[in-house]
Amino acid sequence: MKPLTLLDPASAQILGFDWLTSAVAPVSPYGERRFAELRPFFAGEEAAAESRADSISALAAALDVDRLEAARVTLRDLPDAAGAIARASMGDILADPSFLELRRFCEGVDRVDGLVADRASRPRLAGDPVRAIFEALAPGRGEDGGFYLAGAFDAGLEAAREALVREQAELDSARGREKERAARELGRDEIAGDEFIVMRADLHGRLPAGVRVVREAPTYLLCSLEYGEAALAALARRDAAAEAAAEAEERVRVGLSAIVREHADGLDAAAAALGELDVLLAAARFAQRHGCVPAAVSQEPELGFEQARFLPLESELATAGRRFIPLDLALHDVAVLTGPNMGGKSVSLQTCGFVALCGAFGLPVPASRARVGLFDQIAWIGIGREERAGGLLSSFAREVLALKEIFVRNAPRLLLLADEFARTTTPHEGKALLIALLARLRRMRSCGMLATHLGGIALAAGVRHFAVRGLRGIPERPPTQEVGEALAALAGSMDYTIAEVAGDELPRADAIALTALLGVDQEFVSRAYQALVE
Amino acid sequence: MRVGLELLELARSQRAHSIFVVGTGRDVGKTTTLRAIYAAACERKLRVGVASIGREGDMLRNDLRRKPRLWLQPQTLFVTARSVLPRTPASEVLAISSLQSPAGALVYARVASSAFYELVGPPTASGIREVVDQLASRSEIVTIDGAVDRIAALAGTAGAIVIAGGAATANTMPEVVDEIAALVARLRTPAFDPQAPAIHIEGALLAGRIAALIADGETRQIVVRDPTQIGLSGRPALAALARLRIRCLRPLRVIATTVASIGPNRAFEPRAFAAAVAAATGLPAFDVYAGTRAA
Repeated sequence: MKPLTLLDPASAQILGFDWLTSAVAPVSPYGERRFAELRPFFAGEEAAAESRADSISALAAALDVDRLEAARVTLRDLPDAAGAIARASMGDILADPSFLELRRFCEGVDRVDGLVADRASRPRLAGDPVRAIFEALAPGRGEDGGFYLAGAFDAGLEAAREALVREQAELDSARGREKERAARELGRDEIAGDEFIVMRADLHGRLPAGVRVVREAPTYLLCSLEYGEAALAALARRDAAAEAAAEAEERVRVGLSAIVREHADGLDAAAAALGELDVLLAAARFAQRHGCVPAAVSQEPELGFEQARFLPLESELATAGRRFIPLDLALHDVAVLTGPNMGGKSVSLQTCGFVALCGAFGLPVPASRARVGLFDQIAWIGIGREERAGGLLSSFAREVLALKEIFVRNAPRLLLLADEFARTTTPHEGKALLIALLARLRRMRSCGMLATHLGGIALAAGVRHFAVRGLRGIPERPPTQEVGEALAALAGSMDYTIAEVAGDELPRADAIALTALLGVDQEFVSRAYQALVE
Repeated sequence: MRVGLELLELARSQRAHSIFVVGTGRDVGKTTTLRAIYAAACERKLRVGVASIGREGDMLRNDLRRKPRLWLQPQTLFVTARSVLPRTPASEVLAISSLQSPAGALVYARVASSAFYELVGPPTASGIREVVDQLASRSEIVTIDGAVDRIAALAGTAGAIVIAGGAATANTMPEVVDEIAALVARLRTPAFDPQAPAIHIEGALLAGRIAALIADGETRQIVVRDPTQIGLSGRPALAALARLRIRCLRPLRVIATTVASIGPNRAFEPRAFAAAVAAATGLPAFDVYAGTRAA
């Protein structure tokens, strides 16, 4: 899955692109090849994006979890037969491991069809070419599921092998007689191996006929047993029989390879279809696991969803036994998002980006309902981005350079997510920069959401203003100083709902309440409240 | 005296289903020992699996002539690299492993016609265990052509180990005997006693740590996971094992030694050599070339 120009690396990281890639990764080599080709859909491809998400959702609905998992296990265990198909199509004579791969590929396709095609009303992958190869290789199937160039492939092969077994037995017998004779004459049980030691002290008289001295030592002789006339004649007959058997084996391979070559195009198509199915099944599993639905893909650069979730964070929270609060939002132009610290502004922006990302790749989105436009660029600036950089630039300078790149690129359909952009300069200038940014985005007809703590921006820029509702009241300070307990108390008191507000937000003191909640001493907190009203 | 049969029976009497033949170096009769055990197993009509520990695969690149080949009988299971599997005679290809060797992916195959076959194994200890487990699931006995520099592969094995040593690895007989005795002593490190005080070592016990423990006059048990974690060989290993109470959590089972009195550049008196190895190790020493045993 390649983001191409949709995402720059920093935005990809912040929006969980790697997490998504891993969550929808296929399991077979066929799927991996198809997956590597996947690119985002862009404007003009709305129908294709919507159709893909619909297909995935249909698969997720048609297959229960066990069946889907069984199909993936089958796919994961499939050997990669692409090399064998390619070599056969070029006229190579395949080796036996390749025939095993091809037969297992055909069996796997049939098994996947049984698990998926019939249930999900999808076309079967095992067409005539797959059946032809399966049948051609069937005589080679052993009890263990292996492949052997069995005599059943060719009567001539069977005869050649029988002749070889006979000649080998004659050779073994002739050679065995020679070894037995030599061992007997040397007064030992056996002669094992090619070379053996005869102790001079044990040798009475001459060495037996055929025993040759390889090396002499003061106390022993290192010897070998030469082939006698009978064994040499048997060896020549055995070699001739082995050559005949080898030729017969190769003839069978030539025939089988020709059948593979004849059906190479069909096998290639089946492999490609299998890869596509693997990718779709991975996405269907993702949709099942995370309760995703196909979005309506809009021709406009817009983004709207109900009960949406940023899945990387939802998974992290689930591990900690906490729950992600789903979000509702409708964004068709540019807007400002305000709200208290830890109220979920950044997560709201990430949710927007993640939903847009899923839509762009034709994936069902993690929401109960969604409408998604296809963007040319999804860009993130502000908090999170600067952690990736280093060097001589200040964080403000890095933000500005990232913004400059976005302006220079001037993507026709831009989704810009700005998390407290210009927070590191003076509030006065920061506000001015944000107002200018909103004006530029409107001129570019972009879609964007700018999260900020600065007030009065939406009104000054004439854009919509969303706000996280914030704390319902001042949460009780937990009895212990545990940060985890403080966060739990905060989550219980925070209303993460995003609502559009008219005009500017009323001044709030949520940050001071949070300071108290996180355990800073009461005197400090009281002084802060006092300063607020002075 | 039928050395292969004696070694096989020795292993089977201890209920071992695999036999690792580990050489102290090259040209020490390791493959000859393996052939003898294999021939005995075939004669006993056992379903045999044969494998090699990685090193042969490394050798393929540079020194194919030195690559030992085994004459395998029908029904024998073996592991080799896909590129090394002979086209003829055809074997039954059982599976293509995800394990890789320097010569390519490994394949499990069953011999259909007697012929010479080259064995290639995985380069990692975990890969070797996987190969042995796979072969053991389809065989009654598995014989493994080992190598001293792949000794980590022995970790955790319940198989029997035969140490092969020979005149090729040192100049004098006492040196070779010490070398074999040190390897045997290291691999026969006793199991630790949970009732007695102990220091547990994470990972390898290396020379520096051993020297420090000796200098400290340590008397507690020094416990490693298994004998392959002891990073010493030869005389230093013998000295360390004599001065420290080195123990292990997972002992190995060394059942015998074999000796090759002939090396490319020197030869020892066979009976004296076998007797010296037997005396130094406390294990039977077989001479596969002379067909004799020293107990």
